[in-house]
Amino acid sequence: MSPNEASVEPIENVVVAGRGPGAGRHTVALFLSELRLVFARARTQVGLGVLAAVPLLIGIAVRIAGEDSGAGGFIGQIAGNGLFLIVASLGLSLPFFLPTAVTVISGESLAGETSLGTLRNLLTAPAGRSRLLAAKMVALIVFCFAATMTIWLSGLIVGFILFPVGDVLLLSGSTVSLGEGLLRALGIAVVISLSLLGLAGIGLFISSLTSTPLAAMAATFGTFIVLGILTAIPQLHAIHPWLLIYRWQSFADLLRDPPYWHEIGRNLLLQAGYLVVFYAAAWARITSRDIT
Amino acid sequence: MGVAQRSRRWLVPVTAVAVVAGVGALGPVVADASPNLPGISAQDLLAKVQTAKVDGLSGTVRSDADLGLPAIPGAPAGSQQLTEMLSGQHTARVAFASPDKARVSVLDAQAERVWTTDGKSAWAYDSSRREAVKLTVPEHKTAKPEKAVPSYDPQAVAKQFLDAIDPSTKVDVSGTEKVAGRDAYKLRLIPKTDKTTVGSVTLAIDSKTWVPLDVTVMPRTGNDPALEVGFSSVSFDVPAASTFTFTPPKGVKVTDKKVPSQERPQRIEPKQVEPKQTKPGTAKADEPTVIGEGWESVAMIRGAQTGQLTGNGPLAQLLAKAPTVSGPWGKGKVLTSKMVSALITDDGRVFVGLVTSDTLQAAAAKAPR
Repeated sequence: MSPNEASVEPIENVVVAGRGPGAGRHTVALFLSELRLVFARARTQVGLGVLAAVPLLIGIAVRIAGEDSGAGGFIGQIAGNGLFLIVASLGLSLPFFLPTAVTVISGESLAGETSLGTLRNLLTAPAGRSRLLAAKMVALIVFCFAATMTIWLSGLIVGFILFPVGDVLLLSGSTVSLGEGLLRALGIAVVISLSLLGLAGIGLFISSLTSTPLAAMAATFGTFIVLGILTAIPQLHAIHPWLLIYRWQSFADLLRDPPYWHEIGRNLLLQAGYLVVFYAAAWARITSRDIT
Repeated sequence: MGVAQRSRRWLVPVTAVAVVAGVGALGPVVADASPNLPGISAQDLLAKVQTAKVDGLSGTVRSDADLGLPAIPGAPAGSQQLTEMLSGQHTARVAFASPDKARVSVLDAQAERVWTTDGKSAWAYDSSRREAVKLTVPEHKTAKPEKAVPSYDPQAVAKQFLDAIDPSTKVDVSGTEKVAGRDAYKLRLIPKTDKTTVGSVTLAIDSKTWVPLDVTVMPRTGNDPALEVGFSSVSFDVPAASTFTFTPPKGVKVTDKKVPSQERPQRIEPKQVEPKQTKPGTAKADEPTVIGEGWESVAMIRGAQTGQLTGNGPLAQLLAKAPTVSGPWGKGKVLTSKMVSALITDDGRVFVGLVTSDTLQAAAAKAPR
């Protein structure tokens, strides 16, 4: 969080683009520079590196434990088919690693600019505020996809190197070809990316409230933990379908024969709902904000 | 930009919350609006149900049970599976093709349990254990129960049934509803006695195929169903034969089991409502005795192992909190829930029923020792 580290960021581009009189070329430039801003940060790259290490760690652990480790679920299938390393890594990253990464990046997005004083420059052009927010959101969405695709790719490479691969056994007891299995694993990665969008929306909104990135990250992660606790209390089952992470685990329904779409659809609708609400709130905040 | 103008921007997220919450909460209600169907009497509806015949169907069944059963931590695995099915929500895919092909797969969290038969062999598969069990069903002569009853008149049977249950139950067609996108009649059974915990039982019957699509059991108190089992989607096309076959995949442990050849029971008799002849001392622990009639039926299980009820086991802790009742029948603990009540007497008899605790005690007084 040191200002020195962040001061090397290419903010000049953003300022120039944000001031543009609405030309499409400038909007594209703004979006691109925002992406460059996110992915050039050391903390983003380290985060993606950690995510890439998840399949490697699981793969090595399973390799050492051997075939008859007695583990159930997707982990238990890795030794027989390396493709399940992708599924298991994605599944194990979903409850903690991926939300943490999204929290860090989304908490940074607006509050980071405020803490550096650059938001002031950006926001002095009032017409650019909505567009700036859109650029931040698009960058967050791209990051969500980049994070899960990193795990997918790393899982693919490590799984193919360390374990035998072949036809894929689905939950329903039927078998599909390796190609279709890879496609289904890709589908899981996409569903998980989309599952993270609600949290990204919350992070963006909280980030618009404060000028301290660390506070925004802590508050976003706190919200995530509270939602997790609420989901774990059975007495609250009446509100469970409304909670962000209630249907996160439904990604595994893609491994049924045929895939069971109902829960996945509900999950994605809920994520869209959270995203719309919190994006609108962030928009209201950023466009009505006094710049000091 | 004025302050008022700026604060008006917050109307956008507020509207977004209202729209999202509104769509989420009201969407299903609007979709379930009652369809317009021609009126039908309960007797005609029952007659139609008996003539219902489908060559095949497939669909998704959801069950949602809230019997108010207390969770027993650390109970044996078998009983846990039972209580698991009697509580919470479950989704299963079902498929059926006449005469003897069927498949049920229960969709668990990141796992699936499958039972399937193509008429010749039957398979059970558990994805979490990656184990399959093959049952070889012995050749049996195809039963012909349809022709066994020569003067089979659905209307007469429906009338008989209605006459038989009339003293205890009010039966009516209580309206229409949409179930799994199909128009259905609601056939409602309401117990006339107030000794039972059952408020009503409603069957949703498809208006085209006359197949029951949904069963809802309402408790006497409260507005939430105690049990609802029904299709969330259904198709009456005959599923492909490949749906019912099972090829054990590589890496799955397969166990073979032979089913001993035996006469299959012809037809399960409708639930026995008459009290059985009971001879004191002859009833075994695993043979429950039924006391009372209809909705007030209470099952008595003798010689339950009450030894594990004392001490420090989870069940004992549950019982310790239960109120103690006594009467001319003796002394015992009574457990009540929204639907099910149980009375465990000190001499090792267990009374269970969908009745109030007073009815249980009355049944205990009548019961043979």
